[in-house]
Amino acid sequence: MRVSFHWLKEFIDVPGAAADVAHRLTMIGLEVEAIEAVDDDWVFEVNVTPNRPDCLSIIGIVRELSAAYRIPYRLPDHDVMAETGELGFNADIIDPDLCHRYAGRVVRGLKIGPSPEWMRTRLEKCGIRAISNVVDVTNYVLLELGHPLHAFDLTTIRGSRMRIGTPKAVTGEKPRIKTIDGVEREMTADALLIWDSERPIAVAGIMGGLETEVSDSTTDVFIEAAHFEPISVRRTSKALGLKSESSYRFERGTDIKMLKKALDRAAYLMKEVAGGTIHGKIDIYPRGYKPSEIVVRYDKVNAILGTSLSREEITLCLGWLGLDISEHPDFVKVKPPTYRQDMKREIDVIEEVARIYGYERIKPELPKATIGMDGRSEGRRLREMKERIRQSLLRSGFTEAVNFSFMSPLDLDRLNITDERRNAVEIKNPLRAEDSLMRTTLIPALLNVMAHNVSHGNRDMRMFELSRVFFAQDAPLPDERERFALISYREKEKALYRDDTPDFFVIKGVVEAVLRDLKISGFSVRRSTEPFLHPGQSADIFIADEKIGFIGVLSPLVVDSLEVKANKPSIVVAEIDLNKVFPYAQQLVKYTAIPRYPSVDRDLAILLDASLEVAGIMEELSSYHTDLIEDVQVFDVYQGKGIAEGKKSIAFHIRYRSPERTLRDEEVDSLHSSLVSYILEKTGGELRQ
Amino acid sequence: MEAIRERFIEELRSVSDMTGLSLLKVKYLGKKGTITSEMKSLSSLSPEERPAAGKRINELKDFMDAGISSRESELKTAELNAQLRSESIDVTLPGKQTAFGREHPVNRTLAEMAEIFIRMGFTIEEGPEVELDYYNFEALNIPKDHPARDMQDTFYVSSDVVLRTHTSPVQVRIMEKSKPPFRFIAPGKVYRCDADITHTPMFHQIEGLMVDKGITFSHLKGVLEAFLQQMFGPDTPVRFRPSYFPFTEPSAEVDIGCILCNGSGCRVCKGSGWLEILGAGMVNPVVFENVGYDPEEYSGFAFGMGIERIAMLKYSIDDLRLLYENDIRFLRQF
Repeated sequence: MRVSFHWLKEFIDVPGAAADVAHRLTMIGLEVEAIEAVDDDWVFEVNVTPNRPDCLSIIGIVRELSAAYRIPYRLPDHDVMAETGELGFNADIIDPDLCHRYAGRVVRGLKIGPSPEWMRTRLEKCGIRAISNVVDVTNYVLLELGHPLHAFDLTTIRGSRMRIGTPKAVTGEKPRIKTIDGVEREMTADALLIWDSERPIAVAGIMGGLETEVSDSTTDVFIEAAHFEPISVRRTSKALGLKSESSYRFERGTDIKMLKKALDRAAYLMKEVAGGTIHGKIDIYPRGYKPSEIVVRYDKVNAILGTSLSREEITLCLGWLGLDISEHPDFVKVKPPTYRQDMKREIDVIEEVARIYGYERIKPELPKATIGMDGRSEGRRLREMKERIRQSLLRSGFTEAVNFSFMSPLDLDRLNITDERRNAVEIKNPLRAEDSLMRTTLIPALLNVMAHNVSHGNRDMRMFELSRVFFAQDAPLPDERERFALISYREKEKALYRDDTPDFFVIKGVVEAVLRDLKISGFSVRRSTEPFLHPGQSADIFIADEKIGFIGVLSPLVVDSLEVKANKPSIVVAEIDLNKVFPYAQQLVKYTAIPRYPSVDRDLAILLDASLEVAGIMEELSSYHTDLIEDVQVFDVYQGKGIAEGKKSIAFHIRYRSPERTLRDEEVDSLHSSLVSYILEKTGGELRQ
Repeated sequence: MEAIRERFIEELRSVSDMTGLSLLKVKYLGKKGTITSEMKSLSSLSPEERPAAGKRINELKDFMDAGISSRESELKTAELNAQLRSESIDVTLPGKQTAFGREHPVNRTLAEMAEIFIRMGFTIEEGPEVELDYYNFEALNIPKDHPARDMQDTFYVSSDVVLRTHTSPVQVRIMEKSKPPFRFIAPGKVYRCDADITHTPMFHQIEGLMVDKGITFSHLKGVLEAFLQQMFGPDTPVRFRPSYFPFTEPSAEVDIGCILCNGSGCRVCKGSGWLEILGAGMVNPVVFENVGYDPEEYSGFAFGMGIERIAMLKYSIDDLRLLYENDIRFLRQF
């Protein structure tokens, strides 16, 4: 809200300059976000929090300054002694739950024209456009006292009876009203409206109707001042998509007592700036106002704030806030004024004490340590594992990306994904259609990151992301899963130092290292069925027959669709579901003895069908019925010159060892030769000499 | 004898490799070498002359041994030097690229912040990013028609399910399943339906909660001041001013003295000398009642802060959008 410093000073003799006053306001919770010099005045941009509608006015801020500086303030003049004549009509509150008070005055014989300079300037400083004297007065009072008013052209009101009610209660039909913004709207059945004897003429607390608007030819007006139920105004405002300075205040709560002052002040000012005579008033106030009473214990104040404030100090703070207080030995009973509907409970009053006493005067203190909660909570365990993986990937040369959690159905189309990854959580109000789903895979975003980087000339990259994906399920909330995904992008370029390892195996090595780092050993790979990967160069990764992810070269078709202008890049991606991995992660490390006896190494090269996969052979070798094979490694795979078409040669390095004794050469020779025969028989291969 | 010595010296000098040297050794010191034959010739001398002549031969032999061995070590050194020279490389060529990956600045900042809280005894908790309206709003004292809902533009999945607009729902979830005392932080992604030069629809927050008997506003100030001064430097001014959050009361907005202009006023702090850094407050008794705690028995404080803002301040990043472009040239700087 924009606030004129001069206007404030009309009601309070603040001892400081504008900057000091602004600072004081900030420190009691009315943050002054900016100060602007306008003519010889200062305009404060004050951020009023939603709980303090009472501060949405000059007088509201004056009251705060009064409490902050502990000096009195004045209220504006509203002498309506000149009141003459009868009002001529009455009002009915049909929905007393939605309208708690309805008051009005008639002013006759007005002359519409521009308002005086001083009024226009003040309105404009505070961000409201001057229109005409009569309308300006309602806005002026709105700013000054915080109470919204509406002026109807009296001659356009039909009949002598105003009614305040919802269409449901009045006619049962949904009427249409053309509001002063020129738009005709259908009202909801629950919208509180103002009706004359024949038709609805205003949306209560939000906007008046065009037909009853004050115009240049208006001479007589009916000024309305009412108190509406905040929730009702808010709902109607939302339902109609219609907001105004009035609705902003009504939906936060207005001062049911100030209402009358505002009405009189407006009538008084109209007479002053537009001539005319003030006539009688109506004031329907069926239920009256019962102030709440709050018990505030002195020791509770200090227990919450960590202070040792005296009873006097506490009551002094509250007194300056205009609260009605009655002191007792251990507590004070507080009746908040009508403009402080936000104060309902003891804690609300404690906050006021803290605010007025000053947050800056409360001493910082470190709490005494109390160790609670299991230090090895599940949350911490997961966090530690994720952190460990992040560090592994960083050290493996992958740079971390963080992407938005959104994706589009087109992302899945591009990757030909038709499986459970289509079970995405849909956002009802996305910012863009491209961001309408929550991600079920991290791959599309990484591909976008890659495309962005390639188009900016970054032609060599390894990146990863560790984030959540979301699967819709038969429950109110989706299944949220932690994943990490990798992408490696490389163009064939001449390099100073040659490394011919295919990128697939580089990435596979990293994934294996991450899994081994979590002490997971029982994982295996099978040819992948992922529709966006190269079918011959991709693998799905399994732990105990459950697929935990995949690694693969991106299918050339997908690469084409990315429209990355590049020189035959090698693009490998991988994605691993960590929720599937974590249960297998071994937490406790148990030491195993370092072997005391030497090993004996033997090599073995076999000629096989080129289509045979090494994993099967490894498994046969490792499971051969002896305890003496410690390790089997592939150290060479060869196809080409010297090897028959359709065949390949695979060479293994086999390490024999006994934990109990030194193996004899002859013993190993005999074991090795029977292993060789066994494996040749199992694979149909032949020994390569 | 002198002639032999002279010849030996001459030949030793002209030997240029180990092969030549061993030939020389055989020629003079071998079984059929000069020294052996000189020894044999001793028999032709008179018994009186023999000792002196024998001594001279032995002296010559020692001289030759010493000469050969010293020449041998000279040659070996020369040979090694030649080998090392031939193996020389251009050490100014670049090293093989084994660059580590770089951490995303948001996660790097998050880790740094978390570390400070962990040192102060906080644990880490997490909660769902797609959250029930109940946890995101209702349980935090923000009912459906509350104007405070306007403070946060919410992405909706259904009328009861939202993308969490803050990490505060984790407070409620943890309180529901734990018993005080506890202190934890809950970092994570949050979402708001807003995108412009200073807003992204997804960003990160750290929530914190400490609940025990006798926790006060004074503790809130102590812990947050300790955190901010560890994060931004021990002399960083910190100020607390009243604010409003439905789930805390009293609530505070916490500012630090602008770290860019040291409080004298600049573009980043909009001339105020202060930077708004986090929101905090004493847990509202309504929230305690919602999770079944007795507000007469327990009190606590909560706080929440955006990680992007702190990362941007820390690394002088002037455009929020850089954080989510994931441009390698940007990320490699961290």
